[in-house]
Amino acid sequence: METTLTSTETRIETLRKCEFLQGLKDSVLSDLAAKAKMLNVARGKKIVTRGEDGSNMYFIISGNARVHHGEVVLANIGKGDVFGEMAVLDSGKRSASVTTESDTLLLSIERDVFYESLSTDPNAFKAVIHGVLQREREIIREVKTRSTKLMAYEKEMEIGRRIQAGFLPDSIPTMENWELASSFVAAREVAGDFYDVFKLNDLPHLAIVIGDVCDKGVGAALFMTLFRSLIRASSLYGNMCSGLVDAESGSVFITAGEVLQNSLLTTNRYIATTHAGSSMFASVFFALLDTESGELHYVNAGHESPIIFRQNGETELLDITGGVIGLFPAAQYAVETATLNKGDLIFAYTDGVNEAKNLQGEQFGESRIMEMTNPQDNSPDNFLSMVLEAVLEFRGEAGQSDDITMLALKYQSQTSTA
Amino acid sequence: MATLNFMVGQEQGNVPVTVLRVEGDIDAATHKSLQDKAAEIIEAGSTHILLDLGGVNYMGSAGFRAIHAISNMLNDGDTPGTMKSTHLKLLNPTDAVARVIKTLGFDVYLDIYQDRGEAIKSF
Repeated sequence: METTLTSTETRIETLRKCEFLQGLKDSVLSDLAAKAKMLNVARGKKIVTRGEDGSNMYFIISGNARVHHGEVVLANIGKGDVFGEMAVLDSGKRSASVTTESDTLLLSIERDVFYESLSTDPNAFKAVIHGVLQREREIIREVKTRSTKLMAYEKEMEIGRRIQAGFLPDSIPTMENWELASSFVAAREVAGDFYDVFKLNDLPHLAIVIGDVCDKGVGAALFMTLFRSLIRASSLYGNMCSGLVDAESGSVFITAGEVLQNSLLTTNRYIATTHAGSSMFASVFFALLDTESGELHYVNAGHESPIIFRQNGETELLDITGGVIGLFPAAQYAVETATLNKGDLIFAYTDGVNEAKNLQGEQFGESRIMEMTNPQDNSPDNFLSMVLEAVLEFRGEAGQSDDITMLALKYQSQTSTA
Repeated sequence: MATLNFMVGQEQGNVPVTVLRVEGDIDAATHKSLQDKAAEIIEAGSTHILLDLGGVNYMGSAGFRAIHAISNMLNDGDTPGTMKSTHLKLLNPTDAVARVIKTLGFDVYLDIYQDRGEAIKSF
């Protein structure tokens, strides 16, 4: 692929365009141009391979090439650009690969030839050092600009995380005979997990919500605030507004099941119509607990099945009763009932738990939670720590890719004495 | 970079049905191409689509969002009397995809068929 067709003038011009050779005298450039080899390289050929030793630098006379690490393209280069010079100057390994994108005409100069030409002029080395440092300064400036941009992006992420954290409850209501614990471990990237625990205004029930908005990023965090607020607002105030609670007498014409249904129908219809174009959805488990009787009314809208660990060691899954919310305006949600007895513990979580992956790509899975030893013998706090520890141990060196959100509620086996 | 492959066929049920077969993983990187392909088919006049998921081994939430977007494009102006789409149905999801469909309750919103002939007749 060697050719000598190009004129000496073209060769000298090509070399002169190179920043770090700009300080060289014409005589040195002519010498280099004369000794340089001309290469005609076909499209798709790798000229330089990352990690290999290299003794040549290349100047592009015509054509295009990409500088890359495997599939990742670092730069596209063309006429007048130089590559491979670093390994020539410091005798190190090639820092990136270069592959031609079109038929390309190159000048190639070998390290010994380069230094030999420079030695013909006492000022040449100084000029090259000057040129190299000049380029170094430009690179530092570029790195600084990029890191400023990166810091701005990180700040955005931090804001997203704060939005998310601000929408989780500050404190959890306390109830006699019940113990509740929550845990939220945010992933590095903002995700859309949420949970909520609050007392209803109109009924003596405790509302428990856990949900996960699809996708990640600030968009998911914003939709999380919407889902969470609509559920809370509709179940706290929607019944009064629709005349199901008489403000004066305080009479209530609505059941716990209807509160659940109304709240989810409202939330779903609002998002599915107002934000139809965004196709954002959430999986939600929403339950109302009668803290006197232990009766739990719930809707599971496409969420991971919460688990009841019975005092006698049996387990029960609260499977889905409807699809995810936010997509189809006509969606309906069935209400189911479970009863918690003294000593039972219920555990609800998001997919950051069961879909946690180890380095082999294996998932933690629901079965590992089901097989935990005697959850019902632990306090909710202890149980959540046990699960989190098990997930972290399983994950090993693999990073956290999704939020981990967990709630545990236990009906104390001993009735507390006031 | 991961891409999806598509195969488009025309069948006649009670109405003309376009069968769109997808091959590849439907995730954040590829869901847009599925949406674009469906938009192209709808633009060309299709009103009923059977989405064949037999060649899809993974579908993330982005895939479900794309399916919702397709359903929205098809039902444009329709009055939903039922929860289920009458314009978009799914065919033959692989075990992994069927599991996610079940977890998210998407089978509540879309009919899923194992048999192509039966699926086409249902439109």
